[in-house]
Amino acid sequence: MAVSGASAGAIVHTEIAVAVTDGRGLPGLDWRAGPLFAALRLTPPPSAGLARRAVSRLHLGNEFCERLIPSPTLLRRTIGVADAAGLALTLATPAVPDQGLAKLRRLFRLLPDGAEVVVNDYGVLRLLAREFPVLEPVAGRQLCKMIKDPRLPTEQWARLNPPGLGSPEFEALLGRFGIRRAEVDVPPFARPADLRVGGLALSVHAPFGYALRGRVCRIGSLRFEGAAKFRPDQACARECLRWSCRLTRPADRGDRDLDSFQRGNSIFYRHDGNMQQAMWQAAASGWIDRIVLPGDWRQPDFGVTTEEDRHADHGPD
Amino acid sequence: MRITAPISRAEEIGPMLAAGADELYFGVVPLGWAERFGVSTVNRRTFGNLEDGDGLRRAVGAIRDGGGEASLALNGQQYTAERLELLLGLAQRFAAAGGNAVIVGDMVLLDTLARAGLDLRLHISSIAACRNGEAALFYQDFGAARVVFPRHMTLAEMADVAVAAPELEFEAFVLNDGCLFDEGVCHTIHLPMQLGGPICMDSYELDYRRQDGCAPSAREQATLDANDEAYQRWAWHKFSCGFSTTDSGQPFGPCGLCAIPFLAAHGISTIKIAGRETPTERKLKSLELVRATLDRMDGGADPAALADFARSLRAGPDRCAEGYMCYYPEVLHEV
Repeated sequence: MAVSGASAGAIVHTEIAVAVTDGRGLPGLDWRAGPLFAALRLTPPPSAGLARRAVSRLHLGNEFCERLIPSPTLLRRTIGVADAAGLALTLATPAVPDQGLAKLRRLFRLLPDGAEVVVNDYGVLRLLAREFPVLEPVAGRQLCKMIKDPRLPTEQWARLNPPGLGSPEFEALLGRFGIRRAEVDVPPFARPADLRVGGLALSVHAPFGYALRGRVCRIGSLRFEGAAKFRPDQACARECLRWSCRLTRPADRGDRDLDSFQRGNSIFYRHDGNMQQAMWQAAASGWIDRIVLPGDWRQPDFGVTTEEDRHADHGPD
Repeated sequence: MRITAPISRAEEIGPMLAAGADELYFGVVPLGWAERFGVSTVNRRTFGNLEDGDGLRRAVGAIRDGGGEASLALNGQQYTAERLELLLGLAQRFAAAGGNAVIVGDMVLLDTLARAGLDLRLHISSIAACRNGEAALFYQDFGAARVVFPRHMTLAEMADVAVAAPELEFEAFVLNDGCLFDEGVCHTIHLPMQLGGPICMDSYELDYRRQDGCAPSAREQATLDANDEAYQRWAWHKFSCGFSTTDSGQPFGPCGLCAIPFLAAHGISTIKIAGRETPTERKLKSLELVRATLDRMDGGADPAALADFARSLRAGPDRCAEGYMCYYPEVLHEV
């Protein structure tokens, strides 16, 4: 399913965005698309022009955990970084209880007019529509549901429950709240047309997709004991910023699985080559106009573990 | 407070109402669905659905004759437009039969049902993951009458929502069927067990790395291993303690019996027993536990006495001590 040079016209207009959860990585980020594709081991795009482009948008925040909502200070600093670098800004938000909603409301007040907010909670969407109509809501991946099980053995399984995204009814509903853009992952066994929606602009996250999210966090319980572990109201130490975990099933069962890992409360998968080709094909067809790359909170490079690694002590837990 | 309980066969209606359920909920596969779409999954349960058509009419009639209310689960995460068409037809037949409420997880279906103006109450499924007051009001704007809270919420968070949306009713889990993640944003499939089953029950090897790609030190690995061991124990409790029961058949597993007075005080009007696909006896034993606790509370037992009573109901190993069975573990510190 290679993308031909002739059909790759629209791809050079694809916007490249970088998503960061933790502001510490901001100063060291490379704003050129090509090195980012390489660092993330993303199949090179069929257009050299795209690889030469600069990142033009910065996503701040985390879609999966309310404990990773950035502080007002970090948001102010990021607005400054974005302004200085000429980047547009998007704030990514998770599903939240009311306390989290109060935190988000404080952040929304700081955002410049026209800034995007990725919403994964209809309560956040209602809040934006009522109180912050100058901000631009984007339907997040948790509102745009689709089957994304990294263990699916065949494409047939992936087609059992087709996504509702792309239906005029869903788009009309989102439109009532001012949504003009949606974000999705590349699902397992994706075909380019799976990344085509009717009237919405579409952003695609790459090269990782999210499969499922929980509220209880295994790694966030690391420092607790007994009944204090695995609770929804846990005040974690944001261990997910430090740790990631590769997930591997026994070979007789998981030999065709997508490369999977857990980060914080969520499980992700890495696109395989066919999925990446499907994404580029969709971009070349003009069906997706933005690719969001993870600047942090991603799969670390799982290289060979050396004995030195095993015995090194990296500091306090 | 009211108890809502599951059924999967019409024969369960009489015994469940007699045992104290106020509402019964169930799924139905619409006529023509399997032939048209090649799958029988409509409402997150492949098995344990009642029959459409005459079967549906008779079931709703039996529930109403028995003094109960009937709720139809249409709680898929999302549906395509052509599937909505069949679901609307099913909802119309359910309304005509005298059904009381539909339980909905998909926003477009909610909107479709609200616009259809059926004589049915709209209940927002736990699948919709309503966790804040604004979300509750969002669903209310679309005609919802009740919100079923998702798992993994604290009592205080539920109270915040109930205060923010005083015109809505609220329902919360009280027994059975744990879910380690958040089912509303789980985009995986419960595969057949030979392919791994639900992803949260699948057997994974874990390989931790730091953000810089380095492996953990020996000391760090030991801490991670201890945490994973505790996680497996927590998961075992959430999966009904290895799907075990007491000698007399009362189920172990996720439980909020001690929390019932706190749920009542926080604005929750209905408590939910999960487990549509479980055997009849398990359903009845579950109902027996909840009814006995609720009756004791209505009889005037204070929360501490009620907690003692609830913990004594399941003779056998004390699974309550560690708190991993608890839907609302914060109650452990209250009673």
